[in-house]
Amino acid sequence: MTDALNPEDLDAEQRAALEELLFRLADDEYVHGERLIEWQIYAPTLESDLALANVAQDEFGHARLWYDLLEELGHTEAELIWERPAGEFRHATLVELPFAEGDWADVVLRSYLYDAAERLRLDALVDTSYAPLADRVGKVLSEERYHLENAQSWLDRLAEGDSRDRVQDALDRLFPHALSLFAEPEHEEAIVDNGFRTMSTADLRIEWLETVIPYLDSLGLDVPEPDEVERPSARGRDGTHTDHWDELAAEFRRTYEELEAPEPARIGRERV
Amino acid sequence: MDLETVKERAGPRQFAPKDDMPEEYRKAATRMIQFHANSEVMGGYLEKPFIRQAPSIDRKLAFSAKVQDEIGHAQLLYRAAESLGVKTRDEMLDELARGDGKFLNCFHYPMESWHEVPMIAFFVDGAAMHRQATLKNTSWTPYAHAMDKVCFEEGFHVKHGESILSELMNGSKATQEKTQAAFETWWPRIIQFFGPTNDKSVHNDFAQEVGLKTKSNDELRDTFLDTYVPKAEKYGLVVPEYPRIEYDGELDTYHVNEDDLNWDEFWTIAKNASEGSHEQINSRAQAQEAVEWVRESMHDWEGASGAGTPQAAD
Repeated sequence: MTDALNPEDLDAEQRAALEELLFRLADDEYVHGERLIEWQIYAPTLESDLALANVAQDEFGHARLWYDLLEELGHTEAELIWERPAGEFRHATLVELPFAEGDWADVVLRSYLYDAAERLRLDALVDTSYAPLADRVGKVLSEERYHLENAQSWLDRLAEGDSRDRVQDALDRLFPHALSLFAEPEHEEAIVDNGFRTMSTADLRIEWLETVIPYLDSLGLDVPEPDEVERPSARGRDGTHTDHWDELAAEFRRTYEELEAPEPARIGRERV
Repeated sequence: MDLETVKERAGPRQFAPKDDMPEEYRKAATRMIQFHANSEVMGGYLEKPFIRQAPSIDRKLAFSAKVQDEIGHAQLLYRAAESLGVKTRDEMLDELARGDGKFLNCFHYPMESWHEVPMIAFFVDGAAMHRQATLKNTSWTPYAHAMDKVCFEEGFHVKHGESILSELMNGSKATQEKTQAAFETWWPRIIQFFGPTNDKSVHNDFAQEVGLKTKSNDELRDTFLDTYVPKAEKYGLVVPEYPRIEYDGELDTYHVNEDDLNWDEFWTIAKNASEGSHEQINSRAQAQEAVEWVRESMHDWEGASGAGTPQAAD
């Protein structure tokens, strides 16, 4: 294995590769969290509301960990979240889609597809060569395991009886967007060669398909054929997004802009 | 236990589910705790959009946690209310959705901009803290236990609200002016949080006699003003001329001139009959109705397997 690397050890190419990897991680978590909070107060029961809020806060918390690593590389919160052009966000389109009112099947299935991918991606980062990343993966991974269990426990139930049709609808709609989780990064070769990630994106995709397809099949759902799916033109990873993303970004930046770009407040922690 | 005995024994944490309480007590306690629980839900409802609009990732996390805490408090309080044996949680949640459940006056008004956020998150929550601290000594023990946890968490909320207010009042002149304008709009509502004066209060006397409440509306309002008028001024807010707030040097306390407040509006709101009441209640009811299918499915699973529903994580 390559020797452990720290920020000061990186050359320009390594830095670009690492940043691409971190932006994907951070943006996925941030935007997923931003959608999940729409369910706070609106979840079917008080208990599911509390559980969902826990997950949303974990996602924001993880996003913050990954953005912190980008801050170590010289970025600021203002430019990472509040001023970066919407077209430079690298999250998969899966996490930016809005929910139809009452579509609990969507949030459950979306979370499952996402959490299954997230778990594999994090597993492939446990032995990363980038020391600051290695320090943080363990904590995130343990929380993501719980998210996956929570999503599966809901799916197991929703896939029974009348609600299965709703899950199937969500699957047909979301699956093409979920595939964009595995678009190959521009710096894939450098990411793998430098040991930032110990598995290729192509292999992660295969492993994800081998995880989710048998499970969804076992629930009696009809999973689209991955290679035959009609893919949306927006891919997310390359900065192309659905129109929903521009709306969402404008909404979450409304106060920041209204207050004329205040220094983003920190609560109980120091700036990197 | 008869009512006379209840009044004799009334004191902090005197009564518990094992006691055979008279119907008057159980009904009064249910009404009070249900109102409190409903207010947690509706307060969370009002603040929810500001999770998205919070202007820093730390504030966003704190706001999501706050809204979650309000639901957690509602859960605890509905349980405390259920322990009186008058209504089930589902009945109380149905009443709220139908528009029959009552809740705090402040949560009937729309909140549209970030400048208004500390009006709820600092002043209303501060007022709630102030009142809830006295309810740790309520006579219904499950309610008092709920207050222990609620007060602990509310302490963080108020601190966050204060930090938002401080940030706004250290912002640009325009930001300060908008915050002052929001304060002027909200200030009379915040004072009305404590309800009508003692002589006009419907439930006050009985609730105090049986130890459910330990302080009167007037006492709570005055001591709130003693703390929060100086705090408002500390951050550069100017307390509006009306309603007139008078300082009583002899008793070292502030009083509000009640006649300067709009009590017609207050009583309309108390009946859930204001425009804002309809808006908040109906949009929440619509969101709840949209997931009725999930609750129905859950009933089916419970019936089929006896298994519980997916649980909240900690």
